[in-house]
Amino acid sequence: MFAYKGFAGKWLYVDLTTSKIEVCSSEPHIAEAYLGGSGFGTRLLWEKVSPQTDALSPENFLIFSAGPLCGTLLPNSSRIAVIAKSPLSGVYGDSNSGGFWGPELKLAGWDAVVVVGKSPKPVYLSIQDDHAVLCDASGLWGLTTSETERAIRSEQKDAKIKVAAIGPAGENLVRFAGIQFTPQRSAARVGMGAVMGSKRLKAVAVRGHGPVRVADAKRFHQLSVSFHQRLHQNPIYEAVTRYGTPGITSIMNALGRFPTRNFQLGSFPESERIDAEALERRAFVRHLACFNCPVGCDKLFRVPDGDMAGLALRSVEYENVNALGGGIWNGDLDQLLYLNRICDEMGMDVISAGRAISFAMELWENEILNLDDTGGIPIRWGDVAITARLLVMIAKREGFGALLGEGVKRAAEKIGRGAEEFAMHVKGVEIPGQDGRAQKSMGLAHATSSRGADHLKAFPTIDETNQPDDALRRYGEAYLPEMANPLETRYKPFLIKDGEDFCAVVDAVGVCKSGGTNVFTEFYWEDIAEAVEFATGMEMPVERLKEIGERICNLQRCYNVLHGITRTDDRLPRRFLLEANPSGNARGSTIDLEPMLDEYYDLRGWERVTGYPGKEILLKLGLEDAWQRLCVFRKASESMI
Amino acid sequence: MNFCSFHHESMVWQQKARLRIDSESDDGPFQVLICWQCEDAACAAACPVEAIILDQQTGAWVVQEDICVGCGECVTACPYGAMYLDETRGVSIKCDLCQGAPECALLCPTKAISLERVI
Repeated sequence: MFAYKGFAGKWLYVDLTTSKIEVCSSEPHIAEAYLGGSGFGTRLLWEKVSPQTDALSPENFLIFSAGPLCGTLLPNSSRIAVIAKSPLSGVYGDSNSGGFWGPELKLAGWDAVVVVGKSPKPVYLSIQDDHAVLCDASGLWGLTTSETERAIRSEQKDAKIKVAAIGPAGENLVRFAGIQFTPQRSAARVGMGAVMGSKRLKAVAVRGHGPVRVADAKRFHQLSVSFHQRLHQNPIYEAVTRYGTPGITSIMNALGRFPTRNFQLGSFPESERIDAEALERRAFVRHLACFNCPVGCDKLFRVPDGDMAGLALRSVEYENVNALGGGIWNGDLDQLLYLNRICDEMGMDVISAGRAISFAMELWENEILNLDDTGGIPIRWGDVAITARLLVMIAKREGFGALLGEGVKRAAEKIGRGAEEFAMHVKGVEIPGQDGRAQKSMGLAHATSSRGADHLKAFPTIDETNQPDDALRRYGEAYLPEMANPLETRYKPFLIKDGEDFCAVVDAVGVCKSGGTNVFTEFYWEDIAEAVEFATGMEMPVERLKEIGERICNLQRCYNVLHGITRTDDRLPRRFLLEANPSGNARGSTIDLEPMLDEYYDLRGWERVTGYPGKEILLKLGLEDAWQRLCVFRKASESMI
Repeated sequence: MNFCSFHHESMVWQQKARLRIDSESDDGPFQVLICWQCEDAACAAACPVEAIILDQQTGAWVVQEDICVGCGECVTACPYGAMYLDETRGVSIKCDLCQGAPECALLCPTKAISLERVI
């Protein structure tokens, strides 16, 4: 029996090259230092996947990792983390999904599934409680994600099997291919689906019938009930429940924080045609929830009439509305839903795919691309028919789509002729639906995130709208008014450092950032510390939990440093620094990143010049091995100069 | 389901929940299979050893686990699909209204489940 409850205490190691499956015991010292989820994955990647390893080679690890709170009674305990070296950024990568797959893995008795090697033929992994087998997936290869889910359920005659599947995009190694989890939730970002495709692993199907135990049932129950009550009483509960993440579309437009036309603008003039109210009016069917979630931000939508009549889908998020709406200058909601569906079925990240299209549209506008480059396809702003065609071409790696499937950074390098100016990425990862000029903390978050441009690694929500209540509750009077103001840079390096540490813990325990920690700004360090303590039985004072968050962030950073990441990679595209955002509250704003970066590095104990973690912080966190590897790396890179 | 199993087992264990959520697809519509605490309870009538007894205070039909022989007659008899066999303990399990304050009704965020006295 494992020393700590909450954890299942064992994980699966699957070598696809040899078809060997091993049962490994979870280790208490890893749980104590990193918890589980992406914390466990970070440590394993650090130890096992060398900087020389190509992300799409058999030597890369693909780690599905649930945290100790995943599958428990705590509201929103649905998240599963997927960790691997990213084929999009070439550095540390992880992605995260809600739904029911993560809890099902825990109910089956596993903390994680670790996949290495490359299968000689397409396979899928089937886990039924204690039993795990590799099954032939030759007949599934080429199927879309929902077709794969249906086929596996029908083959195994169990409609309750939870499936993590790749679509054609993952099979074809599109660098931003994602993994689709039952029910239509995605671990979409940074190409985890391509890693899965490179291993010829079509799916992982899980069914579990067992329990998830906690250490202190009485107190854990009380805490879970109080989490419920606090969510219900939260001032934005009604709105989030009703509209889900698209609910912020209209306010983000007012703030100039709704990336439009590849970040030329910060608001979309036709946003009222695609915002949450429009979505509800046009296609709402019913509310849906992930495992154990009282918020239920997911909705089922169905287009009632017109060309897209009958088109039904769920998991339509704010990011989708942005990337496939304003991002590409599209105000047609039915078409937006159709494009969303293509991405889900093909299994690719809506954010990166949408940005690849808007990148191509801006190149077309600037006559950097012509018909010879695109194979005869004009790529004009807002052309949804062409977008639909290109998305399929990307997934199948056909023609010009093959180039876009490399991500905007690589595509721009190949196109040349100044295309780099329009490639809106950080560390090779396309920038999601925020604008650092309109929310300075988010700009810093995009620049420093360990997986490349990303909002969820620090997820600053308290300074989105200049409402002081959340900032006051979390940080106190002393930080106001600047802390709540999206256009202020003061205190924001602290906000991002604290946010990164906290989000690292949230991803390591397996709860949802939309379910109280970040959206709602309701649960914070002391709440998660109590939850971890009652669930696992580990003594967890807040300071210790903070140290775990800091340790995970520092180890991800060290891993990236070994891959050549320095301060110069913690950047934003030139557009953010020099071109003023012309929209909404952000009108006239650029972002002055460098002073924020200086302060951020100081707070982290990292060197200002290089952005490398310093000796003091690494030793404090017990990362002696990381410090030694950094020293060797530094010596080697200096001797090369 | 999760709060239900936790109330009875002190752990999330959906196989031991006394209510189930049924649907033809992941996208719903969803049906809650839950005991209606019938006036003429088919489960109690079907029980060959009279192990299912009405708790007058809460109005719930309750399985006396020391009497139950685990034959499953009640599971077949229930018209609402709300009786289950606990395969590890070898007894049937059903909703006992959490001794009068059912957690499902207290915590259901959409109030799809509520406790109402009909008689």
